[in-house]
Amino acid sequence: MEYEAIIGLETHIQLNTETKIFCNCKADSWGEPPNTNICPVCTGQPGVLPVLNKAVAEKAVLLATAMHAEVQRVSYFDRKNYFYPDLPKGYQITQFDRPIAIGGYLDLPMPEGYTRRVHIIKLHIEEDAGKTKHANGYRLIDFNRCGVPLIEMVTGPDLRSADEAAQYLIRLRQLVRWLGISEGNMEKAHIRCDANVSIRPKGADYLNPKTEIKNVNSIEAVREAIATEIQRQIREVEAGGKIEPWTLEWDEDAGVLRKMRSKETEADYRYFREPDLLPLVMDDEWKARILADFPELPLERRARFMAQYGLPEYDADILTTERALSDYYEAALQAYNGDPKRVSNWVINEVLRLLNERGLSADQLKVTPQYLAMIIRLVDKGTVNTSTGKALVVKVEDSGKPPKQIVEEEGLAQVSDAGALRAICEKIVAANPKEVEKYRSGKTSLIGWFVGQVMRETRGKANPKEVQKILRELLG
Amino acid sequence: MEEILRMEAHEIAAAVRAGKLSARTVLEATLERIAAVDGIPGRIGGDPEAEPDKIHAFITRTAERARAQADAVDAKIAAGEDPGPLAGVPFTVKDIFVVEGTPSTAASRILANYIGPYTATPVERMEAAGGVMLGKVNLDEFTFGSSSESSAFKPTPRNPWDTSRVPGGSSGGSAAAVAAGEGWLSLGTDTAGSIRQPAAFCGVVGLKPTYGRVSRYGLIAFGSSLDTPGPIARSVRDAALMLQVIAGRDPHDATSAAVPVPDYLAALEKDVRGLRVGLSPDYFRIVRAEGGELVEEPLPAEIKQAVLDTAERLANMGVEIVEDVPMPHNRYGIPAYFVIARVEAASNLHRYDGVKYGYRTPDRVADMREMYRKSRGQGFGLQPKLRILMGMYVSAAQYSERYYQRALQVRTLIRRDFEAIFDPEGKYRLDALLTPTTPTAAFPMGAVYGDSVLMQYADQLTVAANHAGVPGISVPVTTDADGLPLGVQLLGRDFDEATILRLARAVEDAVDFKPQITQIAQK
Repeated sequence: MEYEAIIGLETHIQLNTETKIFCNCKADSWGEPPNTNICPVCTGQPGVLPVLNKAVAEKAVLLATAMHAEVQRVSYFDRKNYFYPDLPKGYQITQFDRPIAIGGYLDLPMPEGYTRRVHIIKLHIEEDAGKTKHANGYRLIDFNRCGVPLIEMVTGPDLRSADEAAQYLIRLRQLVRWLGISEGNMEKAHIRCDANVSIRPKGADYLNPKTEIKNVNSIEAVREAIATEIQRQIREVEAGGKIEPWTLEWDEDAGVLRKMRSKETEADYRYFREPDLLPLVMDDEWKARILADFPELPLERRARFMAQYGLPEYDADILTTERALSDYYEAALQAYNGDPKRVSNWVINEVLRLLNERGLSADQLKVTPQYLAMIIRLVDKGTVNTSTGKALVVKVEDSGKPPKQIVEEEGLAQVSDAGALRAICEKIVAANPKEVEKYRSGKTSLIGWFVGQVMRETRGKANPKEVQKILRELLG
Repeated sequence: MEEILRMEAHEIAAAVRAGKLSARTVLEATLERIAAVDGIPGRIGGDPEAEPDKIHAFITRTAERARAQADAVDAKIAAGEDPGPLAGVPFTVKDIFVVEGTPSTAASRILANYIGPYTATPVERMEAAGGVMLGKVNLDEFTFGSSSESSAFKPTPRNPWDTSRVPGGSSGGSAAAVAAGEGWLSLGTDTAGSIRQPAAFCGVVGLKPTYGRVSRYGLIAFGSSLDTPGPIARSVRDAALMLQVIAGRDPHDATSAAVPVPDYLAALEKDVRGLRVGLSPDYFRIVRAEGGELVEEPLPAEIKQAVLDTAERLANMGVEIVEDVPMPHNRYGIPAYFVIARVEAASNLHRYDGVKYGYRTPDRVADMREMYRKSRGQGFGLQPKLRILMGMYVSAAQYSERYYQRALQVRTLIRRDFEAIFDPEGKYRLDALLTPTTPTAAFPMGAVYGDSVLMQYADQLTVAANHAGVPGISVPVTTDADGLPLGVQLLGRDFDEATILRLARAVEDAVDFKPQITQIAQK
């Protein structure tokens, strides 16, 4: 029998606000010693009260809008009550039945060519708990993470494969970075994911019992964990077994899923309205202010790059991975005012390499889009050859100087003067009789070697096409 | 010394600000008074019967801190600066407020070793205004009670009018201290009547402000949607003086209101002529749930008469008395409170788990669950345990609809009762409702304690104001046949403390009972 997988994802996105959700402690404690960003409020001292950081609501509205969700004019905070040592108040402040946004969807263009629409059930704001570490028979608790703002987003059971689930996370990560609401770094747990997985005969219209895979923290791990679980469920069903609603944990090193201690009974969190916070009223004026600079979204921009500039899907996709990169591309294209594909090649090959090597984002480059456009123009005009042009990208980045200035200072202008080149070529030919003989006896591939010698002689400034032409003539 | 103690707080502040009296002199006189009347402070494992003729208002006395504060006030005067409207006025703080560097116990074993790492906003404001904190006073454990007897710190406070009787609660230490001359003012809290009831029992003035008028930051939470900090004082003017200092928006409390704070002392000077004050038959009977039935009983005649006499005297001053004002949902106040306050309390008490601070069991434990169980089991007294159990039950997924959600609906109906009578376009157009504060005078120690349902009915006439959020004040008007004080209550419009203070001031003028330091007696 053929099966299809039914997957829903619950993601927690850590927002990149300066301060925590309900107090003034610094939100980001990455790499800092335990219990250094804490205060009476986030450690749950007696008598303290939460005060909402408005930036959290604003970032939630940005994401909700990007997900085409319906932002609620009034939403409420609730208490989710449970005991755990790293939950200092004994309850988590979250949103339960009246979250900040409801509904929405994300369209995933799949590499196979089809588009998967994933529905969003709800999106809500909540605080993170602390971290527990076990060491020498002790539980060590770090409260730094208590009160770090999160958005929890729950999808419908719309994903049909491990690849689709991975694609959802790729697109989500792209989106949160694009909107500037989260660093979106899964290794730093900025995006955490629980996956609900079940299978059914392909085309069936009912749902089977699902298992929940907890806390898978990289896109590759999500893909592997889900794929592994789908195979396990198929094997189980084929063998006549039943799928139990287990909670599973992905052991990344071993590549296996382990059953977590099953809960004896469904936990009752005794949700009720948080009396210490007022309802969150998102009035039109506030919402308009938040959305005033709402950007063109990555998938929209990707489509526009293809339509407007005639870029191949591959190029459009890469250029729109990061908002800064796509802004860079458009600015460079505008400055260059020529073939969009030519600019795309330079950005994808040269600029992207530089960004990766140096761990920079496009808006931090000293090779501004304008400088890049100048460099391409210099190559177009033959002032410098292509390899010098590529080197210029790095030189401009290192020095911050305009490309033309570097060309002048370093004498990088290409030697295209036929007379001068001919003299050099003649010299090379005269100095290498053995190679000339081999060439003439049929090993014409040596032409590259000759060109290389000339390039070396001219310290790379020679116009390689011109050189080749002259050499062929001389070697006859 | 006697002379200083008999002054009112506003007079002390005026004399200190004028340089006629030093804050240190006032403080030393007060400390002497405390030494004479208070006896040993309450402590864990203390003898409940110790020194039965003393007040035992305190859990922690902070004499050295107070001396430093008093000296700082005097230094400001010497430097020509104004220490503020409470200059040199000694006050006490109910030990449900966290104060930096002082034990902040909530009268519970579970917080007995907890030293505050920050200071509650109302306390901070009183100290910034020149007030001198004498220490932390006793209360029912986590404020759960109406007699102060459930405190884990024994002996618990006694009523200065008759030390065999309770001072009321939960702000019992506050009311007893103020009545006995141990400081002029006390910062209390009122969740169902915990300021007004002990004030009535001890013959002093107690004001529960509008919910949101005074910051709750630093108030160890019981029922977060009901808890309201407020003043206890011997006179209405002193209560107004204190409210002036503690009222107003606090960025640390999202539920504190950004409503402007008027000049309360100026409001007291205004005539009450033409104000409309209502009397409601629903406040002259008490309704108890017995075996699933609601049983209605009239109030004791003395209590009702005290209200009617007060109304008559107000009428003589030109106040319009409006009779037969219906408050039909008043009778559901206690059952709704039973549910709402317990749901919030159970959640608010989650944090006392032996992990971060407070009591942790010294016993060997097998695992974390057992550490929780034992720490909470040994750390909490009976009242918190009962409330946690009930709160957990009525907020459980399968019962929440039937109990908690329904209680919230009742609460809305109670709120509507008040909206209707205060509606300026409505039938009654009241400025205030005049009611008794309590169904009885102070009861003997041990008489009610142990029956937590009966104890709760002590709040029957006060709890509606907490549901509705409206302000209420209790003013002593007379004494009963046993010589115990009786109070009346004035309930007002949202954020209109000025009007009920003005009326309370008129009541104080009109009745024979005058602000006083009680002669400590044992009857």
